Amino acid sequence: MSTTETDYPQAGSAGETLAQRASRLFISVPPEAVLLVVLLAMGGWFWNSSEVFMTTINMRNVLLSVSVLGILAAPSTLLLISGNFDLSIASNAAMCGVAVAMVADNHSTALAIFVAVIAGLLAGALNGLLVSGLGIASIIVTLGTFQAYRGIARLMANGQTIRLRGEIDFITDRIIGIPTQVVLFIIITAITMFIVRYTRFGRAVYAIGSNLVAARLAGIRQRPTVFVLFLVSGVMAALAGLILASQLDAASPNAATGDELKVVAAVILGGASLSGGRGTIIGTLLGVLILGVLQNGLTLLSVTSFWRDVATGTVLIAAVGLDRVRVMLGGQ
Amino acid sequence: MEGQPDPGPLRVAGRGLRKSFGGIEVLHGVDLEAVGGRVLALLGENGAGKSTAVKILAGDYRRDGGEILVNGEPVIIRSPRDASDLGIRVIYQEFSDAPDLTVSENLSLGNLPRNRLGLVDWAAMRRDAEAILDELGITLDPKAIVGSLRVAERQILEIARALAGDARMLILDEPTSALTIEETQTLFSFIRQLKAQGAAVIYITHRLDEVEEIADDVLVFRDGYVVAEGPRSSFTRHDMAEAMVGAKLDETVASLHADHAEPGQPMLELSGVTLEPFFENVDLTVRSGEIVALFGRLGCGSMELAESVFGLKRLDSGEMTVAGVEGQVRSPTAAARRGVGFVPVDRKEEGLLTVLSVAENLSVASWSLLTRMGLLSPKASLKVYERWQDRLAIRGTRGARQVVSTLSGGNQQKVVLGRWLERDSKLLVMAEPTRGVDVGARAEIYRVLRGFADEGLAILVVSSDIEEVLRISDRIMVMSRGVVVAEHPAGGVDRAQLVREAAASHYEAAATGG
Repeated sequence: MSTTETDYPQAGSAGETLAQRASRLFISVPPEAVLLVVLLAMGGWFWNSSEVFMTTINMRNVLLSVSVLGILAAPSTLLLISGNFDLSIASNAAMCGVAVAMVADNHSTALAIFVAVIAGLLAGALNGLLVSGLGIASIIVTLGTFQAYRGIARLMANGQTIRLRGEIDFITDRIIGIPTQVVLFIIITAITMFIVRYTRFGRAVYAIGSNLVAARLAGIRQRPTVFVLFLVSGVMAALAGLILASQLDAASPNAATGDELKVVAAVILGGASLSGGRGTIIGTLLGVLILGVLQNGLTLLSVTSFWRDVATGTVLIAAVGLDRVRVMLGGQ
Repeated sequence: MEGQPDPGPLRVAGRGLRKSFGGIEVLHGVDLEAVGGRVLALLGENGAGKSTAVKILAGDYRRDGGEILVNGEPVIIRSPRDASDLGIRVIYQEFSDAPDLTVSENLSLGNLPRNRLGLVDWAAMRRDAEAILDELGITLDPKAIVGSLRVAERQILEIARALAGDARMLILDEPTSALTIEETQTLFSFIRQLKAQGAAVIYITHRLDEVEEIADDVLVFRDGYVVAEGPRSSFTRHDMAEAMVGAKLDETVASLHADHAEPGQPMLELSGVTLEPFFENVDLTVRSGEIVALFGRLGCGSMELAESVFGLKRLDSGEMTVAGVEGQVRSPTAAARRGVGFVPVDRKEEGLLTVLSVAENLSVASWSLLTRMGLLSPKASLKVYERWQDRLAIRGTRGARQVVSTLSGGNQQKVVLGRWLERDSKLLVMAEPTRGVDVGARAEIYRVLRGFADEGLAILVVSSDIEEVLRISDRIMVMSRGVVVAEHPAGGVDRAQLVREAAASHYEAAATGG
């Protein structure tokens, strides 16, 4: 009898129709499966409409273009699951890129990476302190640092793009034929997936996002957990800044402008809930790939950037809406 | 309340109401009738169909069969709006108020008084609110933000809102689950007032003592059927309980404290603890193997005392010893480490990791112990579930992976309780352990608590439910106005005396304390 409390009113009566069977299947599959179908359908369509789409070089381009987004999206997923936002990541990335360009000079790659990581850590630590120390809502804190870090980047660079005087070989290298940034993207995604599923830290992130008070009453320490999430987010932003700078051999204080919202879009597309507690790394990965493939495919079809934006926004809302329908039909 | 003379008492009747969810019929053709000037009590365990029946009358559900008659005329109720237009209003357990607005704004929600310019007339709104509150004898500040009110105050506000909306039939869904004795009495006097004005009242509850006090008629649901009905005077308490459960009542429940081992080492010792303005100079000892109840009304300070034991509040002065270790508990994390478990009052807001699975909710307090080489295997949580599922009789539909918020109230409470049993707590602090829990699950929770006490767990229950306190405790401490005013061994006190002590001492404390 207890099921009567949880069941939603459903249309129809006995005797299952085809539509009902379809809806049952629809609600029983995980949301990631829906995303995978969307991704494959999109890919299939582009493959059919463009000769270039399914070539090695184009696939490599897709991966190159999504890897920065993907590296940023991994910590953002954890943050969103915990009920927090980091809107400052893209600004932070630009700031770290500029910092690298200023010191890189003729010094070693190691120093450049070191500088970037320290800058990113500091920026993340400031976010984390304000959020978990002072208890200011993360969306407010990072809305502030989103502006401030971008401003600092422009101040440091004096508004100019700075050429890298030394080569950051590490980033432009390839590992068994795959560009380093793609390898990093894959490794980071895999590690995050592991952390989420197999560590106490990962589970604590879900617990905090699901119900902060209840998590605290169950002995979970919220502040250190959220602080660490912001630190990680800062380091990932630094890595993104490093990659962006090395791609162009120059650091622009305007780099990655607007990427914070693309990251949020990818994470939400991947099924994470704005109210926390829900979300998966696999979902985010699919979200990142869907956005990347969409951009790439539409570009190949010579769709103008204005229409590409319209399409991206539509896909985001459609995918989240589809999931909403699934939940309304009784899915979990 | 419409002002026009009525032809006779209002009669709202459902005939042969049927409802199915997902192809399964949960209401099998039920008749019920609420009559103006009378209180109809709907009894039944969770899932018995009483809420479904009421939701059909209220327009929340569409019926699959049957009809609804108002004064003999068939009516169409398709939405809560339709029901509301007929004067039928429901007060659910979940609040439907706007927590960020004030009491007076909430009272005129959707019907804001406006001045000649069409702008909100704040003065009129305040006057209206004061008039409504005065008429009902409610002492709430119209300027108070609703979210800052206590649960009980919000409940009363909900009722006031329905009354202000000219309801002719009021449906109350377990309205007293969060109320104190005194507030319950206040509510009952509203209900009597409503009755006198000719309104029909449907009162859904688990509490048999309330039925005896307020109901004129009784209707008992079980498994989607009406299994007993009639005037209240034709039922004994035992009859009602038996009709609800459908079998002979568990005899052991009434005498849970009768035979068990002597209490052992003290697990909690408080001596002269004070936290202004909540409680003062409280001495309290809970021994291993013992269930101690701290009985008192809402606001008596017992809740804050419980919170300080779990490290949520810091004492001003006094000594605290937990499991033989002296010193205050500084945080929930420290409390867990020192062997204290805590089951909070508000399960949904404070107890459950709502969107996570049953298994994770059971294991969350023990994650630090389940971690091996820095890793927490998902299998560890599943094992925890397997360990407790049978022992706590956790009944869900999807096993370990079911999202915890889709369990019934009783099963949710078992999960929060099980979390601390898994952690191997030495001392368990429970606030209102069976609020919003149906009769069957309540008995199971009591049985589990007694079982663990017999195995050496020390349990401190903070409760305002007299039945509960009498049923499970080895010792009862009565608290009022932050002071422990009486202490009784099990069986050494009756209901009337407890009520007197919790209330009478209130005035004594006021008189002596100034």
